[in-house]
Amino acid sequence: MTSLQTLRDTVVTAEASAVVNLTRRRRGSHLRDNRTAYLMLAPMVVLLAIFVFWPLVYSIYLSAFEVSFYEEPVFVGMQFYQYVLESPGFWNAIGVGLRFALIVVPLQMIFGFVIASVIKGLGRRLAGFMKTTVYVPTVVSAVIASIVFVFMYRADGGLINWLLSLVGTGPFAFISDPLLALPAIAVPAIWLVTGITALIMLAGMLDIPESYYEAAELEGARFLQKTFYITIPLMKNVLLFLLVTGFVGALQQFELPLVMTQGGPVNATMTPNLFIFNQFKDPTPYATSFSITAALLLFVVLGTISALIFRLVKSDKAIDG
Amino acid sequence: MHKSRKRWAAPAAVLTAAVLALTGCGANSAPATEDGKSVVTFWQQKFEDYQQAWFKEQVEEYNASQDDVVVKLQVVPADTWDQKLKAAQAAGKQPDVRTTSYGNIKPGVANGHFAELGELMDAEAFDDIQPNVQDFVTSEGGYYAYPLLVEPSTVLFYRTDLFEAAGLDPDTPPTSWAELVEASRALTKDGVYGMNIGQVALDLAWSSWGLQYNAAGDLPIAEDWSEANATDPAYLELADFYGTLYQEKLMPQEATYPYADCSFYGEGTVAMSACGSWAIGQLSGNPDWKEVLANTAVAAFPSADGDQTTPTSTLGGWTLTVDAKSKAKEGAADFISWLVAGEPERMVDFFKASGYSKYPARISVGEALAADPEASGNPFLTVVSETILPYAKAEPAYPWDISVAFGTALEKAMKGGDAAAAFEEAQVAIDGVIEKQKLAGTNPQ
Repeated sequence: MTSLQTLRDTVVTAEASAVVNLTRRRRGSHLRDNRTAYLMLAPMVVLLAIFVFWPLVYSIYLSAFEVSFYEEPVFVGMQFYQYVLESPGFWNAIGVGLRFALIVVPLQMIFGFVIASVIKGLGRRLAGFMKTTVYVPTVVSAVIASIVFVFMYRADGGLINWLLSLVGTGPFAFISDPLLALPAIAVPAIWLVTGITALIMLAGMLDIPESYYEAAELEGARFLQKTFYITIPLMKNVLLFLLVTGFVGALQQFELPLVMTQGGPVNATMTPNLFIFNQFKDPTPYATSFSITAALLLFVVLGTISALIFRLVKSDKAIDG
Repeated sequence: MHKSRKRWAAPAAVLTAAVLALTGCGANSAPATEDGKSVVTFWQQKFEDYQQAWFKEQVEEYNASQDDVVVKLQVVPADTWDQKLKAAQAAGKQPDVRTTSYGNIKPGVANGHFAELGELMDAEAFDDIQPNVQDFVTSEGGYYAYPLLVEPSTVLFYRTDLFEAAGLDPDTPPTSWAELVEASRALTKDGVYGMNIGQVALDLAWSSWGLQYNAAGDLPIAEDWSEANATDPAYLELADFYGTLYQEKLMPQEATYPYADCSFYGEGTVAMSACGSWAIGQLSGNPDWKEVLANTAVAAFPSADGDQTTPTSTLGGWTLTVDAKSKAKEGAADFISWLVAGEPERMVDFFKASGYSKYPARISVGEALAADPEASGNPFLTVVSETILPYAKAEPAYPWDISVAFGTALEKAMKGGDAAAAFEEAQVAIDGVIEKQKLAGTNPQ
């Protein structure tokens, strides 16, 4: 009994020891894995800390001062938040940005979707050619596009007014008319982003199993039915991504109004970033602090809009699993 | 523990060095060349081509003339000047010497941007500045800039051949706004607009200063900057003048060129144009516009009631300033003394190169020009010196936001908006600027 007990104890001890060893080994390997992960994350965390987190924290700190580059900054607390929130210019700029996004984003999504659907139905060689063709505007600088469109829009001798004159209308001073200027700068914005939007949508479309369409065809589904019941629901996450990035990108539009209209006529194209930039250019300490605070508040506005879109269009795990 | 600390020491040092390099921190001494010369950085705002050539030549001559200072010239385009300068100030990399307009001197002094030149240059140099320009470069009793030139911002350019063709007398250009509108109606034909004048807020903000003075006898803010004055009924007449020209399509319907660029006139798109005197240099510098120049006359810009002794223009112009945080102030001041406060002949050459489109701010340079037969015989110089310069007003020293608020109202009214409502909006905006920037009682004039 005693020897049996001893044997059992020995076995239990050995088992326990084996378990402990195994746990140690596992813990050791976990530690090594963690260390590798941290090391791989470190460069990005350090860069984010230097170029994103620290400037953000520092900006929040600076927004509590009237900042001068020549004299001691003056502590003013939350005063500039009040100034920005009371500024008609700031709210006008947010309104312009929203109107601009509401023109650009739906049209870029619709054009992108149509182009992607067409490319998907083409043969391999032609699809390759089309993909390259629609991608070209993406690599064109927005500044170059702005200059080209300014020439095209000119009331005297511009291509668009020449075309309109052929049908007996115009000329229109597109970028000098407060009503036409915002849609006029939205056209190059749509032209610049539709190609990449179409390619991202195409990637989403190609991910949908062909068997769904075959099954639908057997049931007699037509193109529109397949689009609305298969393609769009299965591309929800891609569409959500494009919607959020498109909206935030459009709200932050800067180069097109800067080059084409300088925010005019009568602030009709004064997008939020251009408004902040114009404030920053002014040499007074007031303008410096105002632009810092306005930029922080724009950050809040953009975050809120993104959150709203996420809430309205909830992202799901792919259901085709 | 010791080992791990060592392991982190090298990357931490590299990171610290990188951050210091990125943030521009460095030793607190004046930069110098390898052979011990003090380096002075000089930012020149890009103007007409001949100016860049003149500055480049002068800097080379100055650098060769002595062994203590090396001036490094950088030409900065006008449309990127403000943001580039502000970014440089934020990084502590602002130039030692820079071109500064008269309107920016007093606000700059109030914000501590400039070194006092009176302490760095000979007093005689300042005695040579014309009396009406003395006030432009002084603030709080000290000299903070040395003037390079003066130039009226609003001059009427008109085509004598088109005047004759339209049955107008080229020797009696319009003197009142009503006459100008009438002449514009007569001249608008055959694809040529009668007139060109500023039409977008950012141009109107400054190019209408002279006409704001003319309409209301003052700018749209009280003398002591305590309250806005944009709802003065006189401004409705100004808005009506601009609005008539635009809405009757007597002027181009879009600002293909900014106000400061007189290309509409040079290209023959318009028969008359408001522009700064610098357009004389622009016209004479373009060989394609020779014929237009040959048929060009200039006159004082018309006033509201035809009285040509009331101001219709502000007297803009450029100076050189030394940055308050410059580590090479003595070298910077020496360069300014040599370039713009030294030999009068050096500046006479500059004004000759400008085609007499700009005017001296120094007594001795004015006298040297008067003694020069070519200069004294120039018809443009005579008209501008005798009929415009004596009545022009100084540029306002208040924040740019105020000018933009008024310019925006003027554009709204010009393009068909309700003028009274637009000026009400400007009134609220200007009062907001006064309150938030604590301007009441701070007018340095």
